[in-house]
Amino acid sequence: MLKLENVSKVYRTSEVETQALGEVSLEIADGEFVAIMGPSGCGKSTLLNLLGLLDSPTAGAYWFFGEDVARRSEAQLTRLRREHIGFVFQSFNLIDDLTVAENVEVALLYRKVPRAERKQRVREALERVGIAHRAGHRPQQLSGGQQQRVAVARALVSAPKLILADEPTGNLDTANGEAVMALLTEATRSGVSVVMVTHSLAQAAAAQRTIKLLDGRVVSETLLAA
Amino acid sequence: MFQNYLAASLRNLARNGQYAGITIAGLAIAFAAAILIGLYVRDELSYDSWVPGHQQVFLVRQKITGALAKPIVEETTPGALADLMKLDFPQLQYVARLSGGTYPPALRRGDISISERRFIWVDPDFFKIIAPPAVAGDPATALAAPDHLVLTRSAARKYFGRDTPIGGVLQVDGTPMSVAAVIEDWPTNSNVSGDVFGSSLAPQSLIPDMTKAGMLSNSLQTWIKLKPGADAATVSAALPGFVARRMMPAVNRIAPDEHLRIQLWLEPITAMHLDPVESGTFVPETDPAVVAAIGVIGGLIVVVAAINFVTLMTARASRRAVEVGVRKALGAGRRDLFVQFMGEALVYVAVALIVAVAIAEIVLPGLNTVLQRKMTFDYLGDPALLVTMLVVTAVVGLLAGVYPAMVLSAFRPASVLKGGPIANTGGGGLRQALVVTQFCVLIVVLLAAITIARQTVFAVNEGTHVKQDAVVLLFASPCTDTLRDAVKAVPGVESAACSSPGAISLTNSIDNVVAHGRRVNLDWAPVDFGFFEIYKLHPLAGRTFAADHPADDGANHTDDAPPIVINEAAVHALGYSSAQAAIGQVVNWHFRAISLKLAGSGQTSPYRSSQIIGVVPDFTFGSVRAAIQPTFFFVAQKIDFLSSVVLNIRLDPARMTQTLPRVERVWKDVSHGQPLQEVFASQFMLRLYIDTIIEGAFIAVCALIAVSVACLGLFALSAYTAERRTKEIGVRKAMGASSSDILKLLLWQFLWPVLAANLIAWPIAFLVMNWWLQGFAYRIDQSPWTFLAAGAAAVVIALATVFFQGLRVSRAKPVSALRYE
Repeated sequence: MLKLENVSKVYRTSEVETQALGEVSLEIADGEFVAIMGPSGCGKSTLLNLLGLLDSPTAGAYWFFGEDVARRSEAQLTRLRREHIGFVFQSFNLIDDLTVAENVEVALLYRKVPRAERKQRVREALERVGIAHRAGHRPQQLSGGQQQRVAVARALVSAPKLILADEPTGNLDTANGEAVMALLTEATRSGVSVVMVTHSLAQAAAAQRTIKLLDGRVVSETLLAA
Repeated sequence: MFQNYLAASLRNLARNGQYAGITIAGLAIAFAAAILIGLYVRDELSYDSWVPGHQQVFLVRQKITGALAKPIVEETTPGALADLMKLDFPQLQYVARLSGGTYPPALRRGDISISERRFIWVDPDFFKIIAPPAVAGDPATALAAPDHLVLTRSAARKYFGRDTPIGGVLQVDGTPMSVAAVIEDWPTNSNVSGDVFGSSLAPQSLIPDMTKAGMLSNSLQTWIKLKPGADAATVSAALPGFVARRMMPAVNRIAPDEHLRIQLWLEPITAMHLDPVESGTFVPETDPAVVAAIGVIGGLIVVVAAINFVTLMTARASRRAVEVGVRKALGAGRRDLFVQFMGEALVYVAVALIVAVAIAEIVLPGLNTVLQRKMTFDYLGDPALLVTMLVVTAVVGLLAGVYPAMVLSAFRPASVLKGGPIANTGGGGLRQALVVTQFCVLIVVLLAAITIARQTVFAVNEGTHVKQDAVVLLFASPCTDTLRDAVKAVPGVESAACSSPGAISLTNSIDNVVAHGRRVNLDWAPVDFGFFEIYKLHPLAGRTFAADHPADDGANHTDDAPPIVINEAAVHALGYSSAQAAIGQVVNWHFRAISLKLAGSGQTSPYRSSQIIGVVPDFTFGSVRAAIQPTFFFVAQKIDFLSSVVLNIRLDPARMTQTLPRVERVWKDVSHGQPLQEVFASQFMLRLYIDTIIEGAFIAVCALIAVSVACLGLFALSAYTAERRTKEIGVRKAMGASSSDILKLLLWQFLWPVLAANLIAWPIAFLVMNWWLQGFAYRIDQSPWTFLAAGAAAVVIALATVFFQGLRVSRAKPVSALRYE
């Protein structure tokens, strides 16, 4: 489903050139749960941004559902992102001025889903993550675990094919972290691929495959027992 | 979709109450100022547009030129003109003359006895040409009888205590006249103004005598209304022929040697107020340049507020960066975000407009009182006004919102979604440029306000060159030797002297004189012995008139002429090399006794010779916008108000309060019941500068508003900037920086744009004020101290605004700053 072929990413300013990723190649199948690990600055977030079409590679090809999207325009990437990808961030990144339900609804607004259908799908997503009773609350009124559940609901509500999670449990305690991991694992059962960046070996154990990065390159891939 | 945007926008506004409040307050104040200034400009531009059929209403204007003379441009015309035009121009529906203000009659009813300055004599058809709404009776026909009056509502209340005193009787100069109609008070935006209107058919009206005074006596306004469909251009084209046929024969008889040429034209009533030609008028005109300047300042205030808006929104953009990143990650395109943030800008300006309308409604009554106007703000009943307000607000919102929307919608999601503090949001250079621009505008407005204030003070106190403190004017018709001598004898009176209306610039009369080998138009004015001394006008050469020189008195001359005193402008006009060189020289002019009856007799007098015995400095009781005319003075027989209309009294300043009641008692004894009309000379002159003073005050208030709006924005920006740099400040303090080091760092950030703004603003302000000052014949010089003062004021304002913010931040403990993340 997703295939990176010799993808590199170089950040250039007027004085400095930094190679964040160097000739990375990997494939991710439908419904696969992949964990990406590595020390700080190894390129994990860069890889996630490329996979999530938030950024474009400097070199190489990126096959996204059969299309090479490496050189696409911002508008085309936006369309693809809107239709196929959901995000879960370490710092939740909920919009403070919107309620829980409105935060989840934003994902459907840009897809031009009709109002009645939006309301129903939001309700279902909130129930799925167990946070429907807080639909009218603002993010500041929720705990960290609750906010992350809202973020997961937001990622799931648009029925994406791919969810990208950047250290989703990094700001959570153990119990909440496990709850979020359970939600992500459950999503893969319905055919959604999940790529998760994590520092935690325990979290990575929930994935089917772990890819380790060092200095912008893949140094190992480990398959876990099914 | 929009519900989501609106919810986010309104809640964001509520959550950031302080910044939102400051942004909206700045916009609201600016919009309110712009609304009020717009109403003022509209009022200025719409004089007499309320007159029914105003497109067909004109004032006949006149220009007189001669072989060696400067042209004389008049709003008044000879009294005989009206009837002659009626005969020759079938396009005219109505013609009416107007005379008033200068020689007020005494009105009496019961205990009320007033010299009514707002009494106007008009022809019976006047109210068919210009007609405020009627309250009672029929103004259009009311003045067909010689003993009828038309009153305004205010005058009816003043004299009769009620609004519709039809049939009520007023004594006008001793003759009973009755009220035949009442009209609404004259609108303030009109070129005509009056409260009591009498018919020209009345025997005591001045119009018949003024008519008999001949084709060169221009003392009446001639108003015409063309028939519906009649073309003014056709009438105008026929005027030269009319002048040649009807006026020139009489003119050439009166002044055969002067080769005069007369040009008439029709001035539309709605164009008169802003006509920049300076002439003797009944209602002060406005300089269209000043109206334009005030309009521009209103626009600049809105610009300053819009700049605030842009700088604050872009500075605080980093707070919305995460939201932008998330929305983009969720599939928002740049256009979606641009629309969202433009919409937020429009929400801000919409809220600001509502607040501005409320402010304008509260302030307008007070403004009307100060400006002596009756402006209305009926936005619901005036679609044009409402649409204009909405369109301007929308345009400001869109223009001001574009840049912040562009900045916000451009955030790259990858760089904002990792979390933690957001780095510099960009646009810092533009923000600095905007702050510089803002202060540039401020400094220019400050400089304008200071220069206008200085010029106004100069004009009122010094430009006239008349020492008017402790001088009282007592109007008498005529001012006689008896009155003068009786007042002089009062303890506390230092001196007293009569003078003609011309000497105090109420009227002007011109004679074509021959002297020093040239033919020149000079103004002339009769004065009494001691007149110049009252105003401390010491001769530059020769002497002034002295009572112990009987030959100085015009009353003692019949076949020859008395000596004259001339002013400096006359010295130059006559071509003498110096004031001293003029002494003893001879001037030939048409000396005669001065009175209305004699003027009306149509007699011309031959040239008679006068010797110049003295030269006085130029002086005027008129506006310093016009150059002082070359003038000569002589002592004339005191026959009536034309020769002697006011007693100028210099009082001992230490005893003024006791002296004035004594003078008033003398007046009662000598005047045989004429109403007392006295005014301090300084107040008398002030009437000509009221418009300039009000304009100056208006501009000063606008400057204050601009300063307040800019300070609001600067305050918010400094608060935000200080907050943004909290971590940096914590680190600096941990490294050993003192509070004063930090304070200097923060203050310098706002100081250098102000210094840069000064450098740009000074040349602009200099050029603009130079151009404005050209409109005055007597003006101040622009002083470098003014520029330094304005620049220093801008620096002080900026520093004061940001100082307390900076002080608070500089004193914070480093640990709380470093824990910020």
